[in-house]
Amino acid sequence: MRVATDIGGTFTDLVYLDEKTGQIGVAKASTTPANFAQGVIDTLHKSAIKVPETTFFVHGSTVIINALTERKGAKTALITTHGFRDVLEITRANRPDLYNMYYTKPKPFVPRYLRLEVRERMNYKGEVLEPLHEEDVRRAAEFFRKENVEAIAVCFLHSYANPAHEIRCGEILREMLPDIPVTLSHEITQEWREYERTNTAVLNSYVMPVAKFYLTNLEKNLAELGMGKVYHIMQSNGGTATFEMGKRVPINTVESGPVAGVIGAAMIGNLIGERNVISLDVGGTTAKTSLVENGTPRITTEYKIEWRRDYAGYPILAPTVDIVEIGAGGGSIAWVDNAGALKVGPVSAGADPGPACYGRGGDKPTVTDANVLAGRINPDYFLGGEIKLDVENARRAMKPIADHFKVSVEEAAMGVIRLADANMINALKLVSVRRGYDPRDFVLIAFGGGGAMHAGALARELRVKEVLIPNEPAVFSAWGMLMTDLRYDFIRTTIRRADQISAAALTEIYCGMEAVARQNLLDQHIPDERMMFQRFADMRYLGQEHTVKVPIPGGVITEEMMSEICERFHRLHEHAYTFRLDTLIEFVNYHVTGFGIVDKPQLKKLDGTQGSLEAARKGTRRVNFDELGYHEAPIYERSLLPVGVRIQGPLVIEEPASTTVVFPDQTVYRDEYGFLRIHTAYA
Amino acid sequence: MARNGNGVDPFTLEIISESLRAIGDEMFVTMQRTSMSVIIYETLDYATGLTDAQGRLITQGNGVTLFLGTLDYGVRSVLEKFGYDGLKPGDIVITNDPYGGGGTHLSDVSLIMPIFYDGKIVAFAANKGHWTEVGGMAAGSWTTDSTEIYQEGLQFPVIKIFEEGKINQGLVDLIRANVRTPDMSIGDMMAQAASLRIAERRFRELCDKYGVETVTAGIEKLMNDSETLIRQELRKIPPGVYEAEDYIDDDGISEGPFKVQVKVTVTPDKLICDYTGSHPQVLGPVNAGWTALVAAARAIFLALTDPSIPTNDGCFRPLEIICPPRTIFTAERPAAVSTYWETMLYAADLIWKAMAPVLPHRLPAGHFLSVCAPIIAGLHPDTGSLFILVEPSAGGWGAGATKDGENGMFCVGDGETYNVPVEVCEQRYGVLVEQYAYDITEGGAGKFRGGRGMVRDYRILADSAQHTGTFGRFKFLPWGMAGGSPGSRNYMKIIWADGREPLIVGKIARLPVKKGDIVRLVTGTGGGYGDPYERPVEKVVEDVRDGYITPEMARDQYGVVVDPETLQVLELVGKRAQKQ
Repeated sequence: MRVATDIGGTFTDLVYLDEKTGQIGVAKASTTPANFAQGVIDTLHKSAIKVPETTFFVHGSTVIINALTERKGAKTALITTHGFRDVLEITRANRPDLYNMYYTKPKPFVPRYLRLEVRERMNYKGEVLEPLHEEDVRRAAEFFRKENVEAIAVCFLHSYANPAHEIRCGEILREMLPDIPVTLSHEITQEWREYERTNTAVLNSYVMPVAKFYLTNLEKNLAELGMGKVYHIMQSNGGTATFEMGKRVPINTVESGPVAGVIGAAMIGNLIGERNVISLDVGGTTAKTSLVENGTPRITTEYKIEWRRDYAGYPILAPTVDIVEIGAGGGSIAWVDNAGALKVGPVSAGADPGPACYGRGGDKPTVTDANVLAGRINPDYFLGGEIKLDVENARRAMKPIADHFKVSVEEAAMGVIRLADANMINALKLVSVRRGYDPRDFVLIAFGGGGAMHAGALARELRVKEVLIPNEPAVFSAWGMLMTDLRYDFIRTTIRRADQISAAALTEIYCGMEAVARQNLLDQHIPDERMMFQRFADMRYLGQEHTVKVPIPGGVITEEMMSEICERFHRLHEHAYTFRLDTLIEFVNYHVTGFGIVDKPQLKKLDGTQGSLEAARKGTRRVNFDELGYHEAPIYERSLLPVGVRIQGPLVIEEPASTTVVFPDQTVYRDEYGFLRIHTAYA
Repeated sequence: MARNGNGVDPFTLEIISESLRAIGDEMFVTMQRTSMSVIIYETLDYATGLTDAQGRLITQGNGVTLFLGTLDYGVRSVLEKFGYDGLKPGDIVITNDPYGGGGTHLSDVSLIMPIFYDGKIVAFAANKGHWTEVGGMAAGSWTTDSTEIYQEGLQFPVIKIFEEGKINQGLVDLIRANVRTPDMSIGDMMAQAASLRIAERRFRELCDKYGVETVTAGIEKLMNDSETLIRQELRKIPPGVYEAEDYIDDDGISEGPFKVQVKVTVTPDKLICDYTGSHPQVLGPVNAGWTALVAAARAIFLALTDPSIPTNDGCFRPLEIICPPRTIFTAERPAAVSTYWETMLYAADLIWKAMAPVLPHRLPAGHFLSVCAPIIAGLHPDTGSLFILVEPSAGGWGAGATKDGENGMFCVGDGETYNVPVEVCEQRYGVLVEQYAYDITEGGAGKFRGGRGMVRDYRILADSAQHTGTFGRFKFLPWGMAGGSPGSRNYMKIIWADGREPLIVGKIARLPVKKGDIVRLVTGTGGGYGDPYERPVEKVVEDVRDGYITPEMARDQYGVVVDPETLQVLELVGKRAQKQ
């Protein structure tokens, strides 16, 4: 039995997979903020699974990100190199809201009086210019004790090149303040740029007590229920880690929920032999998309929380699956701006009151209301009939928009859908076309409550190879968690010109990093035969700042491979930016990913002999297919569709938590795993 | 679906508008990611955008605030010179003429490309970036002691660098031979060309999908929407005449100061900025050209109407700018212009100062204003190759009617500008940064406190190097509001390793410095807002605790005597004592 749980803002979800039967099950309970572990335990009870039989338990949550955004973390202090305590507050000094002279910068998580400096200094080569003055550290520790500080971060200049002073500083702090968690910046990342590294260390310390409290509780509760030491926490890099790591580096888990869907999409791609996929997760408030090339999700360390186009946010140098998120989900509200133009989102009606058609007091028109009015959603079968949708309410909410543009309510609804689709297309293009990828080489895997509803229209515009709707699309992210390996990313900055670094030196750097990664996996009880390592280098032309991530061969690197590596860089640069230069190349960051491979369940193929199209057909409905017009479309129940059947659109396929819309120029095929695969006949 | 007058439904137009903005974003990112200059990829001292076939701005992506007005003028200069018939698909034109045609100073180089569809020009893609080097008398090209443009670098007088897709190699060779960092300058040029080609491709794709007529209708709508939004905001400003004057320190050559002034006339349909009466153009390089003046006025115009609006031609239809020729804001050939921004910033600050009293929710008190840019050039002690450190400095912003000023942020002329991390700086330039901290000094007291300026120390590690710098508002301080104190000045201080008397200056050109000397860059505190005695006592105590003010300032300026150890309030003095 494999179990995934996910603590969200309102609900805690559980998904399990019985490896023997291939059966997927779900359970849901309210989130319990006073003791988050309780909500998880509640879902275990509700699901009625035999907890001691769990072979793999993975846990994701919004607890950490919420503690950050709601400012509910610990009273945190910071120690820096002498002369640099203000770096955290100066930030990068940028003002993204260019014409706003009343802009307010992000406020630091540590006030100035809790930011203390100690005398020490390294240069960029990692040479000691001034030794660490230990008495300064001791004085700081005394002050923090007096101020009842609850967590401490340490970041010294150039600690990525030589962490010796941070290590010694950490020893003194842990000796003097044994109960206070300490983050040393180099323990999280050995990338350069002091503000980003300092902020990362600070935010990690800020949430350490929160993480420790709830994970320790959860561990205790799971043990009481008889679960073995099979529990893991989901990380932003798309892999898992032990709870121990989760308590030590909680900052690596802030995006744990959304990335799981990308991992699931990559898994499905591998399963069906399509290693290039684009994932699309349409939820209530946002749509999220990510591109997976050759089975590998893109990882970035340019991640920020609370970032907006007009607000700098807070950078976190934690390896994170590169996801583009936009404010267009089912609950996104349509509105008319002061200039009289139609807009959709980013404000969402959320779960409460929700879209107008829920009939819970919502009176703003949302994307879901538009889908109801377009005939795409069956008002009597929403959440399997749990909620009966109020079409009249949806109509009333949409009326002002129709009146404003002097069109019918149906036309206004179609306008809202098209605009939401256009926003999603821009996001999909951002991860594909704009990075030099051709969508025609990719399969679009759509999930979340609204993914299947919009994917058909998006595919027609993007001209992707195929659309795939997985089983249980509404809980697909949790399903993705069931498929994850342990993963540890290690990134280090050492700048070297390609003509000045030997193959032997490069080999040594990677082998050294792999030794660290290996030790880390050993600490998490992964035996050698289950380890796998990947290498990358962030490279650039001499003089550039931004880099391109280049895969590096494993094992011993030879001189011949060096020129191949440079050629790879030229190719990737040209791919992304349309040109290459006859200029020297630099290595900037070295990146090693260590995987601890866990056994994954084999997905069961479905019995192909059962069911018939007639039995699956529930009737017809008048559905708006935009420029392809209105059609009286047949409606099918997904679970009753026979395996191997291919049907020509227009049609709609319903299941309790999701609806798939197939356009007149598309066909749908239910494959042997039960996935819906939609192909478009492009004109 | 209902159609409007152009036969296109309103939702399609909205989608086209969004797509045009997305093209602008993509151009912007492409250039940043491939550039060779710190000043482009960190300072984001560049702009990218699209205009229509007539050179009207459709969309602009800016890294810095005051490039808003330069692209459309550049496109118009291309049209003036070549006409529609003189341009072919694949042509790219290069220009940096500061007196017309969208130029600012020679370092800001524009590339402009016509976009053809069905054999006709349908739009232009344009960008403009600050090249670290365009040759001239000084490393880094700009300096504080040039007196004519010929000393300031190569001039590109609206010429084709690519003809029908083929690069003009002769011109490239000429550039390479005349600049100090040929790889960097040509690398930046390639990055600019790449960003234009991306725009061309995307714009044509848009035409493929919707048809040229529909795209054109979408462009009109985009502009008209912005105009509508701006006019709504303009009508909220009380009509009247608002005036301000100020003084520019000097020009690096002759003694100042130079008086500058503006008269802003607000009517329900128009905002007129009249700079008549400002000082004539000067000998030193602080002169600004017409384009720079327009850019400054446009940026503040957005600030006081609607800063969040999509920027395009429509925004500026209600804005009118008046200034006679040959003033310090409207210099003519061959005036030196290489540090034009010192003056352009005043053009923005004057309107700001005039309007702040009626728009206190949008405009706070005066800030440190200058870009505060140094150039340190020398040979890297570890690699032996030439380094040129050029960067803007962050400083203190003014307090507003509801908040303290921001500590350490780039000036109005910059924007989405990033400081150079100490760790990157030391590796790249071979200097040692000994501190990067707030400068706690007099100035900026108020009910709301002015934001703190910065101090950044560079210890020279090369055997010898040259230091150039221009720090405006060295003599004339950031202005306070509603009874708040003025801020403090910007300056450079050279601390000599041999113990000589330190040198304190606001402008300096190619000062020889040696190993062990310290170049200290200090930026001003912003102006305060309101009477300092009205600042709540607990705020004053908190400021002392955090070290934003000293206990002496708390006592002398705020009337609160605080024990710095215990943070106990010992006594209320001055006006505060009388109030009790």
